[in-house]
Amino acid sequence: MSTSKKMFALTLLTFLILIIVGLASGSPGDASGTATGSIGDFLTATNAPAGVTDVPVSQVGINQLASEAGHLRVSINFTWTLITGFLVLFMQVGFSLLVTGLTRAKNAGHMMMMNFGSFVFALIAYYICGFAFHFGGVAPVANLGGIAPLNSIFPAGNWGLIGTTGFFLQSGGTYDVGVIALFLFEVVFLETAGYIVIGAIAERISFASFVVVELAMGAIIYPIYGNWVWGGGWLSHLGQTMGLGHGSVDFAGSGVVHATGGWAALALAILLGPRIGKFGKDGKPNAIPGHNLGYVVVGTLVLVFGWMGFNPGSTLGGTDLRIAVVAVNTLLAGCFGAVAAMVWTAGKWGKPDISMSCNGMLAGLVAITAPCAFVAPWAASLIGLIAGLLVCWGVWFWDNVAHVDDPCGAISVHGICGAWGVLAVGLFADGTYGDGWNGVKGTVKGLFYGDPGQLGAQAFHVVIGFAWAFGVTFVLFSIVKRIVKFRVSPEVELEGIDVPEFGALCYPDFVLTSGQTSSGYVPTGAPAMAGASGPLPGERA
Amino acid sequence: MMKLVTAVIKPFTLEEVRTALEGANVQGMTVTEVRGFGRQRGHTEVYRGAEYKVEFLPKVRVEILTDDGDAERVAETLIGAARTGNIGDGKVWITTVDELIRVRTGEKGHDAL
Repeated sequence: MSTSKKMFALTLLTFLILIIVGLASGSPGDASGTATGSIGDFLTATNAPAGVTDVPVSQVGINQLASEAGHLRVSINFTWTLITGFLVLFMQVGFSLLVTGLTRAKNAGHMMMMNFGSFVFALIAYYICGFAFHFGGVAPVANLGGIAPLNSIFPAGNWGLIGTTGFFLQSGGTYDVGVIALFLFEVVFLETAGYIVIGAIAERISFASFVVVELAMGAIIYPIYGNWVWGGGWLSHLGQTMGLGHGSVDFAGSGVVHATGGWAALALAILLGPRIGKFGKDGKPNAIPGHNLGYVVVGTLVLVFGWMGFNPGSTLGGTDLRIAVVAVNTLLAGCFGAVAAMVWTAGKWGKPDISMSCNGMLAGLVAITAPCAFVAPWAASLIGLIAGLLVCWGVWFWDNVAHVDDPCGAISVHGICGAWGVLAVGLFADGTYGDGWNGVKGTVKGLFYGDPGQLGAQAFHVVIGFAWAFGVTFVLFSIVKRIVKFRVSPEVELEGIDVPEFGALCYPDFVLTSGQTSSGYVPTGAPAMAGASGPLPGERA
Repeated sequence: MMKLVTAVIKPFTLEEVRTALEGANVQGMTVTEVRGFGRQRGHTEVYRGAEYKVEFLPKVRVEILTDDGDAERVAETLIGAARTGNIGDGKVWITTVDELIRVRTGEKGHDAL
């Protein structure tokens, strides 16, 4: 017998012995699971004296039961909120792949480092003051046990502008499980707004100024606007103050997260100007193909997966069974958006565009984020379909009309479709959900279900959201631009940003060429070998 | 004297070309991925709504060293396998090789083939 045959026989024999020993090692315990978790666990949890096997038939006993039920309810909600928060965190991975795939290989390290940087810097800014500004006055949050410490907003009442407690998760008694569970869920939403901008500022912004972008996003731009809609601020009270429906309603953040990120991205893209070679002398846009459509597709699918936390998690509770509707509405909108973009590009240019199809899916997801809990599946499908068309129009518009260079379509996906999603609540909310939302009696209804006021509140959300995110970002970075080196030099931009800014190539062992598809956009005199180290063959401005 | 047969062909025909040349007793070949254009001058595509021109199309360059007398036959075999009849099928040319040396043994000329 050869050695390999002996080895095979010996392995087989060993496994056979292991299986027989396993089989003969005893009889089952509670294998079906029906006997695990019973009155005994309740008695143990309430420290019942030894020998007691029944819950006392008394007010004390009933209160003990009710207290345990309440604790369980909040526990389920905590678990749901934290796990869906972890799913949203995973969207970082999807977005990194998406935007890196949509840009050139010579800048892949720069793209990845921005995604990484947005994560850490924005999180720290949010921890210091962003969370306090955002949610300092949000209490009560019933699903998470009330969160009593977050009770301070300025000015107090229905016109709140900024939260004032929760700095460093310590001020005002906010070192508290409820507060910190909310922080986990909300900081990953901030991260989303924070990394959205990367898509529009890619391949030209300096890392130094990018860090300032993320700090501003985490400390000011995102949280203050978020306070107005989610933190008990003035837009959420338009129902009480101006009689507009339930005030601005934004279930999971089409406006608060996506439009804020998208409009900030627009301001930054305008301030930065287009990449070299994006527009011809006549203003005609040139294609600058991304280097890895595989990343783009995988990234998109990871984002869809994360969205299963983003939207259903925004109930902040697994005890709210609307989560099933929310999840399926989200998937429907994404798929309808993807098909819309596929068909649009195929109809217009003869072939379905891969990256635009992915953008179409994201457009649908972004648009359904605000209305996902308030609309029926058919409406979710329609909202996604319209978003898929809007994103195609948006990409065309920024390229051909506004001449704003947005390499990954961030402004169209998140800005335009975010705004559309906010308005969609005011049109399609069908009155099956949201009783008492924002302190207004009754369920949330859109224009088509008899409440034009709700559409008014949503219009406020869209307009104020744009004015704030675009305006503040534009003004702030018009100033920052004068202090920090805002954009890399043309030489660095042409060579590739990886080595000059970070000292390492993303793909050091690959020969990077401008690729068979690239010659259309490499400007005359630009190096053909993009990303390879070594001096430029010719200097150009 | 020996000859070098060089061909630029469509990448997807490479497998058939290799099989055909093996059948024709060719002892070795060198293959390189290259890009280029001929009379058709590339074509245009659309990416995210913006047009771009694909000026250099991907091709494969095949190089085969042969005896003087075999060159024509090798070229014919190669052409037979690489021809699709469509534009962009490529070109074959034959050049004279002054000297040939096998690296391992130092054999020269025909012995090195």
